[in-house]
Amino acid sequence: MLKLHNLSKVYRTDEVETVALNSVNVEIETGEFVAIMGPSGCGKSTLLNIIGMLDSPSSGNYFFMDEDVAGYSEAKLGNIRKQHIGFIFQSFNLIDELTVAENIELALLYHNIPASERRDRVARVMDKVGIAHRAKHMPSQLSGGQQQRVAVARAVVGDQAMILADEPTGNLDSAHGQEVMEMLQALNEEGTTIVMVTHSPAHADYARRTINLFDGHVVTENLRAAV
Amino acid sequence: MFQNYIKTALRNLMRHKLYSAINIAGLAVGLAAFILISLFVHDEFSWDTHWSRGEDIYRVENTYTREGEVQIRSPHAVDPLKDIFLDTFPETEAVTRYLSFDVGLRLGGEMYGQTVLFADHNFAEFFGLRFLEGNPDTAMADVTGVVLSERTARKFFGDTPALGRTITMHLRDGDHDFHVSGVTENPRRDSVVQHDFLVPFSRSYFEGQRWFTEDWRFAARVMYVRLAPGANADAIRAQFPGIVDRYLPKGQDSTETGRNWSVAISMLPISEAHLYGNSAQGDAKLLYGFLGVACLILLIAVVNFLNLSMARTAHRAREVAVRKVLGAARGQIIQQFLGESILLALVALVVALALVEVALPYYNAFLATFLDMDLLHEPILALLCLFLGIGVGLGAGSFQALYFAMLKPRNVLYSSSASDNGTGRLRQVLVVVQFSISIALMIIAFFVNKQTQFAQALDLGFNADNLVVVNRTNNAQSETFKRRLLESPYITAVGRSSDVPTEGSEDRMLVRTIGGDSEVTIDGLPTGPDFFKVYQIPMLAGRALTTGEADTVRKRGEDGAYRQAGNIVVNAMAAERLGFASPEAAIGHMFSLNISSDVRLDATIVGVAADFHFDSARDVIRPGIYYVDQYRWADMTVRYDGAHREAALAEIAAAWREIYPDAIFEYRVMTELVERQYRTDARLGTVLTSFTLLAIGISAMGLYGLASFTAERRTREIGIRKVLGARLMDIVGLFLWQFSKPILVANLIAWPAAFLFLRDWLQGFAYRVDIGLLPFVATALVALLIGWATVAGRALMVARANPIKALRYE
Repeated sequence: MLKLHNLSKVYRTDEVETVALNSVNVEIETGEFVAIMGPSGCGKSTLLNIIGMLDSPSSGNYFFMDEDVAGYSEAKLGNIRKQHIGFIFQSFNLIDELTVAENIELALLYHNIPASERRDRVARVMDKVGIAHRAKHMPSQLSGGQQQRVAVARAVVGDQAMILADEPTGNLDSAHGQEVMEMLQALNEEGTTIVMVTHSPAHADYARRTINLFDGHVVTENLRAAV
Repeated sequence: MFQNYIKTALRNLMRHKLYSAINIAGLAVGLAAFILISLFVHDEFSWDTHWSRGEDIYRVENTYTREGEVQIRSPHAVDPLKDIFLDTFPETEAVTRYLSFDVGLRLGGEMYGQTVLFADHNFAEFFGLRFLEGNPDTAMADVTGVVLSERTARKFFGDTPALGRTITMHLRDGDHDFHVSGVTENPRRDSVVQHDFLVPFSRSYFEGQRWFTEDWRFAARVMYVRLAPGANADAIRAQFPGIVDRYLPKGQDSTETGRNWSVAISMLPISEAHLYGNSAQGDAKLLYGFLGVACLILLIAVVNFLNLSMARTAHRAREVAVRKVLGAARGQIIQQFLGESILLALVALVVALALVEVALPYYNAFLATFLDMDLLHEPILALLCLFLGIGVGLGAGSFQALYFAMLKPRNVLYSSSASDNGTGRLRQVLVVVQFSISIALMIIAFFVNKQTQFAQALDLGFNADNLVVVNRTNNAQSETFKRRLLESPYITAVGRSSDVPTEGSEDRMLVRTIGGDSEVTIDGLPTGPDFFKVYQIPMLAGRALTTGEADTVRKRGEDGAYRQAGNIVVNAMAAERLGFASPEAAIGHMFSLNISSDVRLDATIVGVAADFHFDSARDVIRPGIYYVDQYRWADMTVRYDGAHREAALAEIAAAWREIYPDAIFEYRVMTELVERQYRTDARLGTVLTSFTLLAIGISAMGLYGLASFTAERRTREIGIRKVLGARLMDIVGLFLWQFSKPILVANLIAWPAAFLFLRDWLQGFAYRVDIGLLPFVATALVALLIGWATVAGRALMVARANPIKALRYE
């Protein structure tokens, strides 16, 4: 699916230079479920952003589906992103002014899909994550777990091949957290590649492989035995 | 997609009602002001654009110059120019002229005053008048025919047909019967050609009138020419000086022709006559000024809009980031936000149009005009409004749209606090812009009003109260009329003169100073001996003129001949200019005076009157010579007892009917004449004041909106400050100071701008107020107070809030 080769990211301000990622080499196969772990500030989010093409590396190569996208323009990256990548955030990032169904539909709006098909797909995915009865509600009327389920639905409604989840359970209690993890696992079993940043070892266990980052380096890669 | 945009936009509006209300209201008020002012300005600029072939019609005008004197700019042209045009310029298709003259009419026993156009026979054909009654081809051919406008016909004859009806006109050479030979459509309000009563011209009606000449001495008739399509007007204009050289007689006789004066010819499109012609009623410069102010108000409103949207970027940044993550391209984000601000602007436009509709009657009453805005019947106007709305929306929304298009989602999605996003500085700049304009307008409005009040309070040198001026008393019965008036207990004085104060004199006399080394120009004014008494102008030395023979320069019954010698009165300024050390020193001085170019008078000064304003108070007092000329008593000024105004006026009217049974009684009120001089300035002051209030109002609205958002954003900071021990007043002070800074900076910009404008404007006044520093400082304080009052409520609310609440959520 993707391959990072000698990838570095340096943030510069007037006085300080911060190395967020230092010669990182990572390969993720299609259909994998990978967890990224590490202490605060180790570069987890930066890595996820670069994988999600929200940020560009300072040096190194990023092969996405065998294409080196490291030097691509923002517009080009945006096109690849909307085709293939879905996002789930810790703070959900739903749009307050839109209903549940409209929030999910948003992911299809930028794909030139006819309205009737959009409705069908939104309805199907809402059923799948069990949020259909809340379709007309506003995000503020939902619990955290429900909001994250909407976010998951939004991430997958466009049939994205890969989902990037940044601490998807960080704002949830354990019951809701587990619910979301099971949803991700189910998606993975259907063939979606999942890359997830998490602090929780328990949730990392859902992944087949864990990448440990420390100060911008990949420290270890643990492959979990198949269940 | 658009449905989604609109949904988001509308729900955003509903969620932040205060913000939306301020935003839309500010923009609507700004747009309404802009539309109202533009309507007026457009109306003024579109006079006489309705004539068929109007672009080929020009008015020919004459300007008289005499060395050392003010030019006389006449909207008329001298008679010989008609033939000169037809002979010299083959492009001339047609020429038509008319003489506008007030005439008394008699109709079924009633008398009416009527402005009559004594017009060339081709007038109706020239202007393509549409006839409702009568035959256009023959209506003006008959010298006893009159062509009325529809409204005039209705006034005289009601709903019955006017054609063939008889109207008796009182002319100089006696009463004449005319019959209505045609009725045309009404002249348009926005036209300089008001053809309500057309009579074919005949010179016999004006025989013997001093001012009516058919040579170059006096331009009496309005003259229009129609040139062939595509004719080069500039090429024609270039030949005017040559024409004057060739045709203007060079003073070979005694009739003062061309001896020490000259004439310039000018020619302007009929559509420009209203604003740029000689004796134009409009003032293009003032209109551009209004338009400038209108644009400034619109700018303030747009800045407001921009500012409030920028304040909300933090909130909407998250939405934009999510949209981008989900695949929105830059163009789509730009589309969304431009669309949103256009939508808002259009909503504001609808509100503005409603405001305009409500305000128009008052606006019209104030400007004494009849503007209307009928969008359904004027699709171009509707389209312009639409463009205006879209333009304002684009202008106001573009910055936000671009900002969001460039936004990096990464920066927003991972931070939970709403950051300033670097727009804070820009917002400060915008507030500075708004307040600079508002403060400058405030200062200017203050001084314009102060100057107007100053001018109105100016001592005119005479008492203008309780005076009326009766017209057309230049005749033999004048003396009887005067005596009859003085019999009334309500009338205290009567005085006569050729013109009255505020109107100025056109007679200029060159007089040698007592040293004999130079000449000074002094205005001459033919008066009666009673003139100074009725205006209550004191004599500083010597005596007033009397009815005595020695004090009379020209007497009725002596065939209009001037005498060889006579006594005169001068004003103090004339005495000074002539070289006398004091008014007393001038008494008894004898000198030679050219009463008119070929009449020389041995004049003796018997009195020196105090200076008084005879021209507009905008001008300086001029030196004056006053003498008794019984043939030039066109105006009779009557002073009445203020407690019995109605009774006095009734007595004057009764006396008039008795003495002048065949003439219309008309009079002017002196206080109105005086007031009229300031009307333009007073109106400018009122307009400026209203604009200023609008500008301040919109700016304050924006400031309030900004304060609200700042309050929202700074709750955490203020919470921390409070936990660290800040008191209520510290917090409020902090807040007020934040908003004081841009207002103070705005003063730095507004002061010099206002000063420069005012210095220039006040140059136009001979007597003007000083530009003191105090009003500037006061304005700054007022602006600060307005700012504080706007922000204080919000500041208190924030300062009172429980700090724990603010901090817990981080």
